[in-house]
Amino acid sequence: MEIGLNHYLVLSTILFSIGLVGVMRRKNLLMLFFATEILLNSVNIAFAAISHYYGDLTGQMFAFFVIAIAASEVAVGLGLLIVWHKRHGNIDLEYMSTMRG
Amino acid sequence: MLDHILSIIIFFPAVAGILGFLVQKDSVRAYGIAVAGIEFALSLWLWFSFDSSVSGMQFMEQLPLVPAFGINYILGVDGISVFIIILASFFTMIGISSLGETKDIKNMIVTLLFLQMTMAGVFAALDAILFYVFWELSLVPMLYIIGAWGGPLRVYASVKFFLYTFTGSLVMLVGMLFMAYFYYQATGVWSFAILEWYRLILPESFQLWLFAAFFLGFAIKVPMFPFHTWLPYAHGQAPTIGSVILAAILLKMGTYAFIRFSLPLFPDASVFYMFPIAVLAIIMIIYTAMVAYAQKDVKQVVAYSSVSHMGVIILGTFALNVEGISGSIFLMIAHGVVSGALFLLVGVIYDRRHTKLMSEFGGLAHVMPRYATIFGLMMMASVGLPLTINFVGEFLSLLGFYQQSHILTLLAGMAIIVGAIYMLAAYKKMFFGEVTNEANRNLPDVNKRELFALIPLAIITVWLGIYPKPLLEPINNSVKSVVQLMHDKAITDEAKSRIPSLVKGIEITKTSTPEAH
Amino acid sequence: MELYLYLALFSPLVSSLFSALFTATPKKQFTGIVASGLIILAFVSSTILLTHILSGGDVVHVELMTWMATGDLYIPFGFVVDQVSVTMMMVVTLVSSVVHVYSIGYMDHDKGFNRFFSYLSAFVFSMMILVMSDNFAGLFIGWEGVGLCSWLLIGFWYHKESATWAANEAFIMNRIADLGMLIGLFLVYWNTGTLQYEQAFAAMPSLSTDILTWMGIFLFIGAMGKSAQFPLHTWLADAMEGPTPVSALIHAATMVTAGVYLVIRANPLYDLIPNVGLFIASLGAFVAFYAASMALVNRDMKRIIAYSTLSQLGYMFVAAGLGAYWVALFHLMAHAFFKALLFLGAGNVMHAMHDELDPFKMGGLKKPMKATFIMMTLASVALAGIFPFAGFFSKDLILEVSIIEHHYIIYSVLLFTAGLTAFYSFRLVALIFHGEERYKLFGIHPHEAYKFMLVAMSPLLILAIIAGSFKMTYFEMVTALLPATEYHVHSVAMYWIMTIGTQIFVILAIAFAYKKYAMSPVTVPDGTSKMENRLCYKILINQYYIPYIYQEYVVKPYRELSTIFWKEIDMKIVDASVDGIAKIFYSTGENTRTMQSGNLSTMLKWMVAGIVALLSLAVVFGLAVRYSDEIKVILSGLGVQ
Repeated sequence: MEIGLNHYLVLSTILFSIGLVGVMRRKNLLMLFFATEILLNSVNIAFAAISHYYGDLTGQMFAFFVIAIAASEVAVGLGLLIVWHKRHGNIDLEYMSTMRG
Repeated sequence: MLDHILSIIIFFPAVAGILGFLVQKDSVRAYGIAVAGIEFALSLWLWFSFDSSVSGMQFMEQLPLVPAFGINYILGVDGISVFIIILASFFTMIGISSLGETKDIKNMIVTLLFLQMTMAGVFAALDAILFYVFWELSLVPMLYIIGAWGGPLRVYASVKFFLYTFTGSLVMLVGMLFMAYFYYQATGVWSFAILEWYRLILPESFQLWLFAAFFLGFAIKVPMFPFHTWLPYAHGQAPTIGSVILAAILLKMGTYAFIRFSLPLFPDASVFYMFPIAVLAIIMIIYTAMVAYAQKDVKQVVAYSSVSHMGVIILGTFALNVEGISGSIFLMIAHGVVSGALFLLVGVIYDRRHTKLMSEFGGLAHVMPRYATIFGLMMMASVGLPLTINFVGEFLSLLGFYQQSHILTLLAGMAIIVGAIYMLAAYKKMFFGEVTNEANRNLPDVNKRELFALIPLAIITVWLGIYPKPLLEPINNSVKSVVQLMHDKAITDEAKSRIPSLVKGIEITKTSTPEAH
Repeated sequence: MELYLYLALFSPLVSSLFSALFTATPKKQFTGIVASGLIILAFVSSTILLTHILSGGDVVHVELMTWMATGDLYIPFGFVVDQVSVTMMMVVTLVSSVVHVYSIGYMDHDKGFNRFFSYLSAFVFSMMILVMSDNFAGLFIGWEGVGLCSWLLIGFWYHKESATWAANEAFIMNRIADLGMLIGLFLVYWNTGTLQYEQAFAAMPSLSTDILTWMGIFLFIGAMGKSAQFPLHTWLADAMEGPTPVSALIHAATMVTAGVYLVIRANPLYDLIPNVGLFIASLGAFVAFYAASMALVNRDMKRIIAYSTLSQLGYMFVAAGLGAYWVALFHLMAHAFFKALLFLGAGNVMHAMHDELDPFKMGGLKKPMKATFIMMTLASVALAGIFPFAGFFSKDLILEVSIIEHHYIIYSVLLFTAGLTAFYSFRLVALIFHGEERYKLFGIHPHEAYKFMLVAMSPLLILAIIAGSFKMTYFEMVTALLPATEYHVHSVAMYWIMTIGTQIFVILAIAFAYKKYAMSPVTVPDGTSKMENRLCYKILINQYYIPYIYQEYVVKPYRELSTIFWKEIDMKIVDASVDGIAKIFYSTGENTRTMQSGNLSTMLKWMVAGIVALLSLAVVFGLAVRYSDEIKVILSGLGVQ
């Protein structure tokens, strides 16, 4: 069986769903980061696959951008997370509700 | 300088207001009076250089703002607007000079000067966007005056005032945008200039919708029944100066806008909506007069009486003939003078007794004879006694509407009965009888500062009641051209719109022939 | 001549303003003197104008300035002195001169002396505008002006609750009628295009009868208010709360006759609509009887005279309604003289009796107050219409008019009322001046009024006696303007039978009144006597329960309705619905703020929900666009579009 575009897109969708469920269900901030990484990477897969399919490098370029932004985001996010853990002793989302309306 | 007198009248008080922040607290009152006095002198100069035989716009100024969308800074006055501008600057002057002991007097005076800018701007603007900007800006100082110097319910009252009128004006803004869009469709250029809009003849269905959109904005401002309930709260909570300006000038913005926008832009819709609006006006007249009779607080009596009188103004406006519209414009000025004076008078007694409940008074004619005299004069003017300013306007408004409907005029004429009932009852409760309340026994009569504000108003009330010509003549000229415009525009429309053409069955029509269109 | 016109018109205004300068200061004798002097000046000017008109001079017509001009409407301040208005001017200035001088004495001890003269002169000025104006709008100025002055003067003693109440009642009742008047003006303007008398009346014959009828009715409604015709009559009796000179001037001689004046002035209109005229005459006859019946039993001296005024106004309206305008004007004039005299006499009695008004508590006053006694008796004789006094000439003429015009019912009502008039007038005289001196029980020592007050009254006395002899001069003058119908009963025998019969009837009524109240002992009624418990007495003393009905079924419901409008409708429906809309926004915010729990995962869930919603909307719209043709087919199949 030839592995075609559809397979990549299905994989991307599955990964995106996993990430989405993770984003919605996880209470641990670290796990939330992981879930967002999964989301981003699912999109990256889709970008790369479609780019290959059309023979247009723009998609792959976008994938690199996403990776770079994700890396910087994690760098900042993890830093904040460590500070939060030092101050409060946990990284549970339930306790982060200072923005309650 | 005369070329830019309108801009000067509009922006001089604002600039002076900003500079006012630098003035020392002790001298700020003198500064305010001086600025308002200069402003009033400027507006008088406007009047003297105003050519009352010309019916069109005078002192026009034009400056492009957003040329791509036809938004321009256009100013101009005609007989309809010039006197309201003068009245506004007059009341700003009187209001500032009659200010009693007020906390944060500097802020108050600066606010009043800003308010003067917006009021002059509304009545001088000839561009819809410019008009809208001033229209909305005028809410801000008033919001601040009620909210900062008002009574116990001031926050509720000021927020209600602001949101209610603001909602209405948003609908009006949508109407303006549509109007400009139609203009663009018809001519290929954008324009918000009102005089350009006048030349546009809209199909009737568009007119009906646009009229309704404008109506909502104007009707809330007037305020027409059933949109009037913000007014008693605003008056009830506002300090004296706020009530005076609100009743004298700000309410007139709505009725003025009817004449400036609704009538000439949508003549057919005006005819279509004439009877529903007249019925609303009659409800306003009789119903609010009865509500006024039931009030226990004298300021509320005056507040509701304002609504009742505005009903007569609306009725005169929708008489759609020269007599009625001239009468309604005259009554706007008359009501401004009289209700402003009445609110000042209520303020006089409130300053002394810190209550406005009529049951607290009684027999004041014994202790404050001068006060009772001036109050009596203003009451009689409010009741519409001939040879006072109100009568001229009321008489002409009702006379004009009589041509449209006999029965409705008969009902509206009840104004002179119900008006007398609540006013006389209130006067009797406050001034007649023995002095029963010990607190009233040694009240001082009106002092010099108060007389300075009240005497000019009393003089105007009688002077313009006996000799209304200086105002009536320019008003008449401008109104004739408005009615003529409506008549001409309506002719090209359907047969139904013949009604206003019948209205205008006099000499001007003879010169214009229907097939000219 | 124009100078005299201006003098007559404006000297009362000057007088009023002059006195107004001193309203805040204590009593100044000279304000009264100056005011009286200026009013007398107006009187002299009017006399000069009268002689000018009498000697066949031209009508004096001036236009002072424009009042209102807009559209087609043009109203000037125009004044005209013609045969009718000069008659009215004479009546007004003469009676007001007398009343001014009299008031110097009457208001001697009043705190508001200066204020009184200011108001009184202002009234004269308004009345002069009313009668001299050459257009309906000017008439309306005067009309409202006298209403204002009447309000001020009835409520002159404003510390009295009853006085201020009566003042407000008078003003509001008049306002009701004024609305009718205003509508009448509108009708005149829109149908004739002008409010000037001359042009308007000239245009009227070409109008349809319907319009003219409405015009006549609405103008007459205005007249009904000022002249206190049924059902707007209750204010007149209550207006007696004012000082007595005011009652004499305003509520007897001048203002209340303004309605009659209006009908006379509008005679070209009423000539065209005899049906309305008949209605006016019938109402007049009814009021004549109705008011006289109430005067029969009343126990308030001033109210009795007020009802008599009302009754006489009814007579005037009968004459005016039947087209005998000059007769109406003649009776108006004669009535002004003897009624003012009667009131001023009553004022003397009131002063002597320390403001006691119940004639049952007086009696025998003819000894201490001889002059007043003579004056009031003669005035009553004139009122009763005994030959050769003024009332005989004017009132008998009205009776003749009604019989010549073949309105026999009106005639008999009027004849009967003439008897009643004689009875109640002399009941009053008998109770006050004859019989025992009942006032002694109350410890009062009556005294005659100041000499100059009596002198001031004397012109009225003379005129009340001799006014009848001017009949022919007057007729010749005034018929230059009014329809000159002479009223003669056809057969001479019939004339003598009628005249002598009427005289005998009236004299019998007087004799009956004397017998009952002067010859036999009178006691102060205390509610126990048999007569007082009769039904008809109760109806009469309660004024047919009309004031009660107004109070219960008009005033109270109005007040209650007002409160309902305010508390229930304005607050609970109109305002509450506005607040309700605002509350919807508030509560939406209040309810949805829990979404913002601050919990990251909850917010993420909402975010996802939002994305899903948007995506599904996008899908729906995309499908709708793609299949739009099919959808239209389906919808048209369902009958939509």
